[in-house]
Formats: sequence, C-alpha cells, structure tokens
Amino acid sequence: MLVELRVNGELRSADVPPETTLLKMLRESLELTGAKLGCDVGDCGTCTVIIDGISVNSCLMLAARANGSEVTTIEGLASSNALHPLQEKFEEYGALQCGFCGPGMLMSAKSLLDKNSNPTVYEVRDALAGNLCRCTGYTKIIEAVIDVGRNMKAETNA
Amino acid sequence: MSPLDYIAPESAAAAVQLLSEHGELASPLAGGTDLIVDLKHSSGNVQLLVDVSRLQEFRGIEETTDGLRIGSMVTYGEIMENPICLEKTPAIVAASHTIGAVQTRNLGTIGGNLVTCVPSADSAPALMVLDAEVTIAGLDGNRRIPIEDFFIAPRKPNLQPYELLVDIWIPKKAMGKPSNFSKFGLRKGQALALVNAAAALQIKEGKIIEPRIALGAVAPTPIRALKAEALLMGEEPSEKLIEEAAEVAVTECKPIDDFRASLKYRQQLIRTLTRRVLTRSVEIASDR
Repeated sequence: MLVELRVNGELRSADVPPETTLLKMLRESLELTGAKLGCDVGDCGTCTVIIDGISVNSCLMLAARANGSEVTTIEGLASSNALHPLQEKFEEYGALQCGFCGPGMLMSAKSLLDKNSNPTVYEVRDALAGNLCRCTGYTKIIEAVIDVGRNMKAETNA
Repeated sequence: MSPLDYIAPESAAAAVQLLSEHGELASPLAGGTDLIVDLKHSSGNVQLLVDVSRLQEFRGIEETTDGLRIGSMVTYGEIMENPICLEKTPAIVAASHTIGAVQTRNLGTIGGNLVTCVPSADSAPALMVLDAEVTIAGLDGNRRIPIEDFFIAPRKPNLQPYELLVDIWIPKKAMGKPSNFSKFGLRKGQALALVNAAAALQIKEGKIIEPRIALGAVAPTPIRALKAEALLMGEEPSEKLIEEAAEVAVTECKPIDDFRASLKYRQQLIRTLTRRVLTRSVEIASDR
C-alpha cells in the first residue's frame, strides 16, 4: 500500500506491504537508518521518532497508521551547518559511548524539551525511562539534557 | 511479521461489520503496543487488521451532564495532559503514568489496556473505584455495562469477537471523589505491576461513605475488595481501621506464586498498597 509521510519537512512516499512498521519503512524504503532496530518490541526506545508532535516507538507503529503524518527522525535534528543543542551537549558531556541508544535518546529528549524547556532531573528521568543505554549509566545523558534546558531558559530570559 | 491486510474503516459500525464478516481472521488494532508485539512473535490466525485507533466515535474526553466520557482510543499520554482528568479523576492520571514509558503511553490506549484484559492492567483499579461503566458496540447497536462485568478471565473480556469498546464513563457523582492509585513493580519504569491498587471514598460528618477499593494482579481479573469496603462503611477513619481493612483485603485476593514474587511477598504488597491508597484517600477527603 502507498504510504505518504512528511519526513523532516520533506514529502516522502513508498509502496510497502501493510504489515510494514514505520521503522522498517524509514530504514528500508526511505533509507533513513538513523532510527535503530533494537529490541523490536517497544522496550529499548532506540527506534524513537516524533510523529505529529509526540514521541513513539516506530517499531510498534504500522507505517499504514502513520500515513499522512509528519515525522521527525534523528536525521532532522541537525541543520546543514550546525548540530542541534542536544547533540552539542551530548558531545560535550560524553553522553554517548557506543552510540546505539543515541538516536532514540536524542529524540526523546527533544520531545521533552519541546513541551517543557527547563525540566527537573525527575522529569528528564521520567521522559527517558523508555530509552535503554547499556554503556553510560545514564548520568551524563541526564546532565546533558538538563544543561540544554538550562541554556534554553537563560536564552528565553535574556 | 507475516503478511497482513490493513483497513482503517470510517465508522464504528463499519468496523464491527468487517470484524463480524472476517471472524477469527480479523483483529481490531488500537495502539498496537501489545498486538504488534504479539503479531511479530506468533502470527496466530490474524490476517486482517481493522484499525480503529483514529475513529472519531472512539476518541475524545468530554464532561457531559451524565459524567466524564473517555473515548476508548484515548492514549495514556492524552489522559495525563487532560485538564478534566487531572482535576476530577487524578487516580486515572496516576495509573496512566505508571504504564510503560513515554513512547508506549503515546501509542497505547485506555481501551486497549482494558480489552487486553490482563490481571495487572493498571487502568482497571482506578476506573473500578470510580464506578466506571463501559459502552460496547455490537451488531445491534451499543450496550453499557459496569466495568467490573467487563473482565471475565485473563485475556477474556466480556466482548464478542466482533464487538468493540466505544468509551468509558465515570458517573458525575464519582468525578472529583477523593481517590488514589498506587502500583508496585520491580522497577519504576516499564514494569508490570506485581500488585496495583486504587481507593476512593468520601467523608461525611466524620464517617467514611461510599468506600471503594480495587486491586490488580492479585486474582485472575482485577477485583473489588468488597468485604474491606463493607468494613469501612460508616466508620470513623483511623489508622487501626485502615489496617483492618487492608488485612481483610488480603483475604479477598488469590495472588499467584511465581518467579516474579512469592505468594507471601504479594500478600504483603496487597496489605501495604491497600493501606497506602486508603490513607491517602482519607487525607484528601479530610482536607476538603
């Protein structure tokens, strides 16, 4: 079936079998391999994308159901000349080690900051509870997100 | 996943019709957080998914003269941000918050949680203590039943294969009623409940009235602790009374004994959580 999406601002479409997940369509039909296939059952969060403003596990959503939606993937985070503030802070804090959880962590963090620009540690932990990391122990990830929030608040108040 | 067909019908009636025509070969699709995982692991008989997740008749949260209507396809994420739910049914918001993680709460629906009909369904106790009713669409129109009658056995809701859950109603009288939900899992995030519990009550002239206690993951279906409720009815709230009610609640449950937790441990959790939700509900009621 034909599925049409606006991905990172660009209209994209693909003819996929109805049982295709959004993740599979993104990776295999649209060649956007940023979102990763981890557990494939909605536990690990590395497939997280933002669809019509909310974060979802793209491994649990059929592409058919996403038809007509606006999707933001990790590829849509940086612009051609600058990293997103979250990416900069993740780099600065050493918040990624192997990096496999990174695309999902960043999209969950973006989704949080879009709604709540200056979150507390509790709110960050709650927002990232669906993103598993086997390397970092989470501390640096949480610190990086808090720091981005702090800067966003400082900018708003400036 | 094995090959499947996918249809997103325009109305509840069309969805019911499709499901009745295809029998066991068709399944309704809600948030998919359980179903898609099941389909990846065992295809079963399902060949057609009838996507009801975006049906207008199943969406929305509204306050009417009858009470609060929550569409079956409302997600936990939507409940957590809804001003009416936050103000009038905080126990449902609290239960929603304990389910999965942000991404699953943004997909998973309250109706899906009920229809999946597992003993640990977190929304169930919160809805039960608020005297919820559910509307079910079938071939001959809709029927409405109390939520307690919806759970028959593990994974067996009170639904014909072609029937669909339309919405959940909280009667006017239960809106704003002091209530509370608590869950104990092996982790804070993304964990199934070992035990979950909810309570609701009013205090009038110093006495407890309309007490409700519901518990999940303690029997084949979520249950009301009716004997414990009877013990509280008309009594003056005290620590001792709550202890006694919690003790009675333990005798009303039939928890399992398995690798996640022993029988004894689960009984202790029932005692603790019952005490906790009752104490908190009494505090809220006393503050009014």
